[in-house]
Amino acid sequence: MTSLNQTIQDVFNEPACGKNQAKSDKERKKGCSKPLQPGGAAGGCAFDGAKIALQPITDVAHLVHGPIACEGNSWDNRGAASSGSTLYRTGFTTDMTENDIVFGGEKHLFKAIREIIEKYAPPAVFVYETCVPAMIGDDIDTVCTKAAEKFGTPCIPIHSPGFLGPKNLGNKLAGEAMLKHVIGTKEPEYTTPYDINVIGEYNLSGELWQIKPLLDELGIRILSCISGDARYEEVAWSHRAKAAMMVCSKAMINVARKMEERYGIPFFEGSFYGIEDMSDTLREIAGLLIQQGAHPELMARTEAVIAREEARAWAAIEPYRPRLAGKKVLLVTGGVKSWSVVAALREAGLRVVGTSVKKSTREDKDKIKKLMGDEAHMFDNLAPREMYRKLKEAEADIMLSGGRSQFIALKASMPWMDINQERHVAFAGYHGMVAMVAEIDRTLANPVWQEVRRPAPWDRVEAPQQAGREAA
Amino acid sequence: MPQDADQVKDHFELFRGDEYKDMLAKKRSEFENPHPDAEIERVKEWAKTEEYKDLNFSREALTINPAKACQPLGAVFAAVGFESTLPFVHGSQGCVAYYRSHFSRHFKEPTSCVSSSMTEDAAVFGGLTNMVDGLANAYNMYKPKMIAVSTTCMAEVIGDDLNAFIKTAKEKESLPEEFDVPFAHTPAFVGSHITGYDNAMKGILEHFWDGKAKTAPKLERVPNGSINFLNGFDGYAVGNLREVKRIFDMMQIEYTILGDQSDVWDTPTDGTFRMYDGGTTLEDAAHAIHAKGTISMQEYCTEKTLPFIAAHGQETAAFNHPIGIEATDSFVMEVARMAGVEIPDELAKERGRLVDAIADSNAHIHGKKFAIYGDPDLAYGLARFVMELGGEPVVVLSTNGSKAWAAKMQELFDSSPFGANCRAYPGKDLWHMRSLLFTEAPDFLIGNTYGKYLERDTGVPLIRIGFPIFDRHHKHRYPVWGYQGGLNVLVTILDRIFEHMDATTNVPSKTDYSYDIIR
Repeated sequence: MTSLNQTIQDVFNEPACGKNQAKSDKERKKGCSKPLQPGGAAGGCAFDGAKIALQPITDVAHLVHGPIACEGNSWDNRGAASSGSTLYRTGFTTDMTENDIVFGGEKHLFKAIREIIEKYAPPAVFVYETCVPAMIGDDIDTVCTKAAEKFGTPCIPIHSPGFLGPKNLGNKLAGEAMLKHVIGTKEPEYTTPYDINVIGEYNLSGELWQIKPLLDELGIRILSCISGDARYEEVAWSHRAKAAMMVCSKAMINVARKMEERYGIPFFEGSFYGIEDMSDTLREIAGLLIQQGAHPELMARTEAVIAREEARAWAAIEPYRPRLAGKKVLLVTGGVKSWSVVAALREAGLRVVGTSVKKSTREDKDKIKKLMGDEAHMFDNLAPREMYRKLKEAEADIMLSGGRSQFIALKASMPWMDINQERHVAFAGYHGMVAMVAEIDRTLANPVWQEVRRPAPWDRVEAPQQAGREAA
Repeated sequence: MPQDADQVKDHFELFRGDEYKDMLAKKRSEFENPHPDAEIERVKEWAKTEEYKDLNFSREALTINPAKACQPLGAVFAAVGFESTLPFVHGSQGCVAYYRSHFSRHFKEPTSCVSSSMTEDAAVFGGLTNMVDGLANAYNMYKPKMIAVSTTCMAEVIGDDLNAFIKTAKEKESLPEEFDVPFAHTPAFVGSHITGYDNAMKGILEHFWDGKAKTAPKLERVPNGSINFLNGFDGYAVGNLREVKRIFDMMQIEYTILGDQSDVWDTPTDGTFRMYDGGTTLEDAAHAIHAKGTISMQEYCTEKTLPFIAAHGQETAAFNHPIGIEATDSFVMEVARMAGVEIPDELAKERGRLVDAIADSNAHIHGKKFAIYGDPDLAYGLARFVMELGGEPVVVLSTNGSKAWAAKMQELFDSSPFGANCRAYPGKDLWHMRSLLFTEAPDFLIGNTYGKYLERDTGVPLIRIGFPIFDRHHKHRYPVWGYQGGLNVLVTILDRIFEHMDATTNVPSKTDYSYDIIR
């Protein structure tokens, strides 16, 4: 068995994953990625997943070793914000051609690494392995080792050929690469009893920054974020944190769990979405830090901040409640958002009539059931036609989803709002929830939906008085 | 607290607050191990020099910010232009997710496209099973009239034989025997999306004209007076094709658009989801063999398709994304000649209006220096138009342009004093362009959305024309072809020039002596 296969097996055998624990040995061996259906419209691949997970490390040069396909179609396609370097937004690729495939792409890759280091002197180069080099057998591990020796810059191989599986697997493989080559390779200048890691948060639209002032106020330091607005160094010294929060549960659970194993950093799974979730998160962070030796007075300070912030957020949401009460929401997203957003929406008086559970774990689903009770309509991955039917039937007032489903929603006359990576408003934290509620209110109030939902005036079949009422 | 719950700010303003400035500065000093400001300034200035440019141009192995995409993207583009056709990409699934988002972000429409979802097993044992199951599933789930197969690099590295696979799939009853499944090998490690368009288009015509992979008799050409039209890979497909159809109707000619994407990427919001809409009917695609001739709007998108059509006895003519007066003249005159019709007066009037508009505005463009990048044909068409306007292209760059393209560009530059100081840069990327913007110092840059980083870094204002355009909406609905299209491009260029003029003359009692309401 190749070492890559071992890594994948290893990733599948995730003891911290509830879903995995419930499986038999044989099932576990098969792995957790559902076999993809040939002929279907599929989501992103392992490479996409790996790139998404690591690209927010802003000062690293992310070099895609492969033909133009992988980087040509995708460079700089996520809104992860940076407070410093913009190198992560530069698209580096070896743009492999036929010659590389015949003679091997290793020398080409080595040269490309050299050219990056000469030009940009980044703290590290991440080399992403895509389908083609994996198939022709380019030994990117050796190239990276040699390049690192020769140029004195860490070169990190990320084994993520797309054919291995879906995006989620890619997230995990990216995590494995960090565990193997980066985490624990540097020491922070100093540590405090209040140092934490935030794992699986990408700072989309600056969401991490929206949370950070609260932590700053409590004296809690984010020693390392993997990977939103991160610098290479902070990932390298993340093993010195006292506790960790895992944000996107399915993406990097392996990183959190292995860091607990190796470095004794306890972690919890939390969310920045939703008022109560945010409070729980702060409590958990404080609790874990205290358990790790921080002064117990931290908890009292935390509770004070929670009380203040909750009151402010509720007060800010209150005016929206009468406007939003009873409005029906259809949620098409995945993973942790399938439930954490549900809680927030209910806080604003909205009714969630359905939620997708495409990338959700069993716990995610349990949480949805707990939150929504029997009225929970959960549905799995939907083909466009099927989604269209659901949208038509759902009679929701608004659909919240990512960009790819947007257009189908509109064709089905469904008001729509973006809550995935391409959105431009940060929804994390107490104020983020207020922002989301405000945004839903604003979206619902847009005059275009009236036009979207009704036929042209000459096609309206209602009796004249009814048409008159509509106009009024 | 920085964020005030009573007045929620979005990220544009929020993170500019003092609290955030502090927070981010701290991040920098504690976590970034930053270089001293003086050193950053020194390197920044050095990157603007000829010396840096030479180093930059000596790059061999590394591509930075490529302005091209891969073959299957072009194959998908060609396929969606046919009636109820589902593009089917044989290979790993992630690629297809990229194509769908790429097109959706540009056209603001869903793009239907499926993958055979090959995995590691398929990489070892070949993708036959994926093809057999995939075709069956796609056929049953999406009810297309045709499935157009192309490939990702994965299938190409293994060397999957599409012809044999599709045959086997039909034998195994994945699809009815007579169902149309044209195919094209489209490896990403050769050429770019324009090559993929070419291969896929040729594959589709070959399928219909040359006996459907030996399952039907070859068609016998019975020449008629009709004209076939190929747009090539074009981000303005929606606006351009509608404009071309309007012109053809005006000229009262018989025509077939081969690959008409204008409806499928512009479906109405009226409560009906159209997975497929419009497109060239399969019947028309087959009958197109009888046409008198075929016009290609983009030579470098049809390098294989056009000779294939010529070999079937048709006249052919190729243009390079014609924009402006002269280029449109040659286009409509060639159409008129081929179809044996006169140019209608109405069209002549449109021409006159474009000439008039250019004459009205010429002073603002005359002598301005432009850097242009894009697909080879578009870059040619834009450079030609800029020269026609009295502008001076100084850099024309195409990541997917060949040496032959560069030679053709040079001929164009040599044809006019306005091209005297220009050079074509084939096979170069946007990091090369960055150096050129510093050393050649043009007044304006013409390119796609990715050019915004160049605008930010170099201060050269960007005029957005090309594919993809992600950060401005609905540009694809406005044609750039025809005299009407020329007018649109003129206005796009002028708008940016005037905005720039206003933005650089608006400081009260300092520069505002030139801040005029009449420009």
